[in-house]
Amino acid sequence: MITFDFDYYRPDTIEEAINVYKKITGQEKKAIYYAGGTEIVSMSRVNQLSFDSVIDIKAIPECNVIETKDDKLIIGSAVCLTRICDFGGYPLLGAVCRRIAEHTARDMITLGGNILGKIQYKEAILPLLLTDSKVTVAGTAGKSEKPIDRIFNEKPLLNAGELLVNIIIDKKYINNPYSHSKKTKQEKIDYPLVTIASVKNDDEIRIGFSGLCVYPFRLDIIFGNIDNTNPESEINNILNRVPAPIVNDILGSAEYREFVTRNLLIDLFNYYGGMN
Amino acid sequence: MESRLAIGKNVIRVDAHDKAAGRTKYNSDVTDPSLLHCKMIVSQYAHANIKSIDTSEAMTAPGVQRVITGEIAQGILTGTFVEDRPPLAIGKVRYHGEPIAVVIANTELEAKRGAELVKIEYEPLPVLNSPSDSMKPNAFLVHENLANYRKMKECTPQPGTNIANNVRIRKGDMIKGWEESEVIVEEYLYLPQADHIALETRSVKAEIKPDGNIIIHSSTQGPYIIRKKLSRHFNIDTGKITVHTPMVGGAFGGKAAVQLEMIAYLASKAVGGREVILINTREEDMISSPCRIGLEASVKLGATKDGKIKAAQITYLVDCGAYSDMGAVMTKSIASDCTGPYNIENVYCDSLCVYTNHPYVTSFRGFGHSEYTAAIERTIDKLAKALNMDKIQLRLKNIAIPGDTTPTCSTLTKSNIGDLKKCLETLKVKLKWEEGEKVDINKDTVKCKGISCFWKTSSTPPNAASGAIITFSPDGFAHLSIGAVELGQGTKTAMAQILAERLKVDIKRVKVSMEINTSDNPEHWKTVASSTTYMVGNAVIEAADDVICQIKDISAIVLRCSPKDLEVSGGKVFLIDNPEKWIDITEVVHGYKYPNGNSIGGQIIGRGSFIMKHLSGMDENTGRGNPGPLWTVGAQGVEVLFNKKEYSYKIINAVSVIDAGTIINPIVASGVTMGGMSMGLSLASREAFIYDNNGIILNPNLRSYKPIRVDEEPEYIIEFIETPEVDGPFGARGLGEHGLVGMPAALINCLSTAAEKDLNRFPLTPELIWKTK
Repeated sequence: MITFDFDYYRPDTIEEAINVYKKITGQEKKAIYYAGGTEIVSMSRVNQLSFDSVIDIKAIPECNVIETKDDKLIIGSAVCLTRICDFGGYPLLGAVCRRIAEHTARDMITLGGNILGKIQYKEAILPLLLTDSKVTVAGTAGKSEKPIDRIFNEKPLLNAGELLVNIIIDKKYINNPYSHSKKTKQEKIDYPLVTIASVKNDDEIRIGFSGLCVYPFRLDIIFGNIDNTNPESEINNILNRVPAPIVNDILGSAEYREFVTRNLLIDLFNYYGGMN
Repeated sequence: MESRLAIGKNVIRVDAHDKAAGRTKYNSDVTDPSLLHCKMIVSQYAHANIKSIDTSEAMTAPGVQRVITGEIAQGILTGTFVEDRPPLAIGKVRYHGEPIAVVIANTELEAKRGAELVKIEYEPLPVLNSPSDSMKPNAFLVHENLANYRKMKECTPQPGTNIANNVRIRKGDMIKGWEESEVIVEEYLYLPQADHIALETRSVKAEIKPDGNIIIHSSTQGPYIIRKKLSRHFNIDTGKITVHTPMVGGAFGGKAAVQLEMIAYLASKAVGGREVILINTREEDMISSPCRIGLEASVKLGATKDGKIKAAQITYLVDCGAYSDMGAVMTKSIASDCTGPYNIENVYCDSLCVYTNHPYVTSFRGFGHSEYTAAIERTIDKLAKALNMDKIQLRLKNIAIPGDTTPTCSTLTKSNIGDLKKCLETLKVKLKWEEGEKVDINKDTVKCKGISCFWKTSSTPPNAASGAIITFSPDGFAHLSIGAVELGQGTKTAMAQILAERLKVDIKRVKVSMEINTSDNPEHWKTVASSTTYMVGNAVIEAADDVICQIKDISAIVLRCSPKDLEVSGGKVFLIDNPEKWIDITEVVHGYKYPNGNSIGGQIIGRGSFIMKHLSGMDENTGRGNPGPLWTVGAQGVEVLFNKKEYSYKIINAVSVIDAGTIINPIVASGVTMGGMSMGLSLASREAFIYDNNGIILNPNLRSYKPIRVDEEPEYIIEFIETPEVDGPFGARGLGEHGLVGMPAALINCLSTAAEKDLNRFPLTPELIWKTK
């Protein structure tokens, strides 16, 4: 049960959403954009989150599209993970989303919510980071297109009131060789100890990590550097480039996460090495 | 064997239709707009002085009627063996989640809002985070006043220490035992606390009527115990207390504790006796209400070179948490069966109930047996390795058989213990033991098997009793009134089968009371300890015999013969030597009416009762005594695929072979056993409370505490051996808990073989296996 009262808005257009946000915050009140609600509801129940208004963006058409247009794949921020899996237009994104939560929750969790919520794992952002995806952001000054790392880099970077409308993925990457692997403490359905997603692009392999640090990140390596007879040095190189301390929590110790990561990287090298 | 009508048949459960249709009403499903709602404020610390509780803001919040704190029950301490627990904390909290105050308000929302306004100032204190920490000579005392607490005769708390109960087993001659031992192995095992995770969280409604009668509605396994405890602690006649219990949505021992009932009673009293409702959230149900014991075990076994076990020295430290409650009773239960189902002549065991700053515990399916069995069976496997002997062979060589004695020197007979040899031999076949314990599947994967034996008797009080009453509707349906709670285990169905069998009628003509009202239904001690079929079943048989006798008496007059000339079957009473001559029981169960209107007999009302016999307490110094009526035995095994590179595994098969005597309902028995096995594997592989250094539980919710999911379940193979128990109804033994008991042991043995490591902690996560040297 959520004990605080709040107002509920369901705008039909982006402009309406932006204006409502502006109006509420202008009254010194806190507003948040709302789509799937899995995080907002469960955190509010235990008083870890509070607000005066939610602005439900699910009725905004642009936030709900999932389509291919010319050489782009466009996915609205309010599209739920189940729809992304079923759509199948981007196999790596589908594979990553299929291992987030369970089916019932995936019917609710949205792409925008997963990558901009409070959850530290944000696994759905990995395929977007690896493909230099772009995003459409709406604000009081109208809509603009930005690289994804302008809205998320270690933490969400949207300004107050800005709304993530959709994600634009360049189709040229979609059919590249890719891999995805998720390791958990014990359950199939759980947060990751480490999730690795990767894409091979010409001579480089782009690797995205979730769970290893408190935020997801991308590291690129040179394909030619992979030496399956001696993977250790390249693995050490990668681990030296990890941008933050390895997480140590109830899912797993930092030492164990490192062990799991090393195994995943060996698998990854074997996988791409086999393509030589 | 005579052909049977209902026993041994896969009768559809009597609660099935309502449950399948979603129409069953559980305790908190039935509400009333006039109910007041309670919300607890629970401790944020594992150990702290309560410096102040400011309820002023909450008291003036909209809809709030009252806020109560521990002061309202000053001087009242509750418990089972030792009375050490205030219903609400006073002055001090001793575990994370301990209830401190309750807001009573007009609505659930107003109660929760009010609770957010209660301000508690704590002074944190150091914590005791494990039984071995609590046993250290310089450890502070969780209960400084232990010496002054009321306690039951059979319990031996040690004032000045953190020991709430100390049960000793001294059997045989240890010096001789070690002298005869050519091989000695030792093992230490640690098992953290966990939770029951029943689907339905605990809930209670309480009302004090204007005439002083108390009405409780509770989701409980022990409605009659609630009556006794409320009477004892609040000085109310038991006759003035009525406890109602509808269907219960899973319990697993967790709902045998009396906790919320006292809080709800105090809340009702504080608002002039109005009816209040208190429903646990999942988080409260996990840590504020009692959980499963933790255990630290040290086991030392000595054996001859040919594998005969000669000596066992055992220390069990039971983590009972901050209050002893059923932890102290389980300490005794563990001691009484401490060696597992093996005949060992020389046994020295100290079973200690140890206070810590963890959530307090209550019974959990298996009543301590799954926990100590893991330690014993791990050591037996270690012994087999040291002796270079086959693990099944070593067990067969040592299993307890009729004529042997238990650790408490109870003599085993052909009736009171099942046939473990047959169980092990069947397990060997079902688990395909001959394939080899460990087989390479590919470079990284091995297939491995692990086994465990178990036994379990119930730890009922020597005077535990049950009753049954049978009445008839005019059309001859038999209505059975009993005090056993239906919590998903199928007890109502089993009782209907027993009655139908005895009355020789179609089970469709038998109706069992589904809900319990302690003022109307005859008392059953508690629905725990896998003893309901045994106890209530015997009472039902006695009541059925009483009914048959009465029917015959009246019919004999009508049919002008002696009652002994008659037989009751299929709803008819007929002459044994001339079955053509009969009357329908509908003509007699509500009195027989002659054609001229004269009537005789009146309603037939059957009564039956049962009380345990020949049970006794255990001697304080040696443990000698007769604590339980009968032993169900079994052999269990698992098969896993283990990944040597990642230390991960998948359980592919789980086998149970259990001697439960006569099986009343095979499909229900398999279901109950499978549920127990699943629970055992889930506990062993993943479930545990994780404490930080301050004793705070880091996973008190289902987001981070994750029981096994359906797609991770193995194939279950379940076999029953049916050695009849002479005293059991139609030869049945207890079965409810047993599927769980050996599963953790089988899994830890299996993974120790797979990983070639001496695993000695639970839960068995891949990280734990990786980390173990």
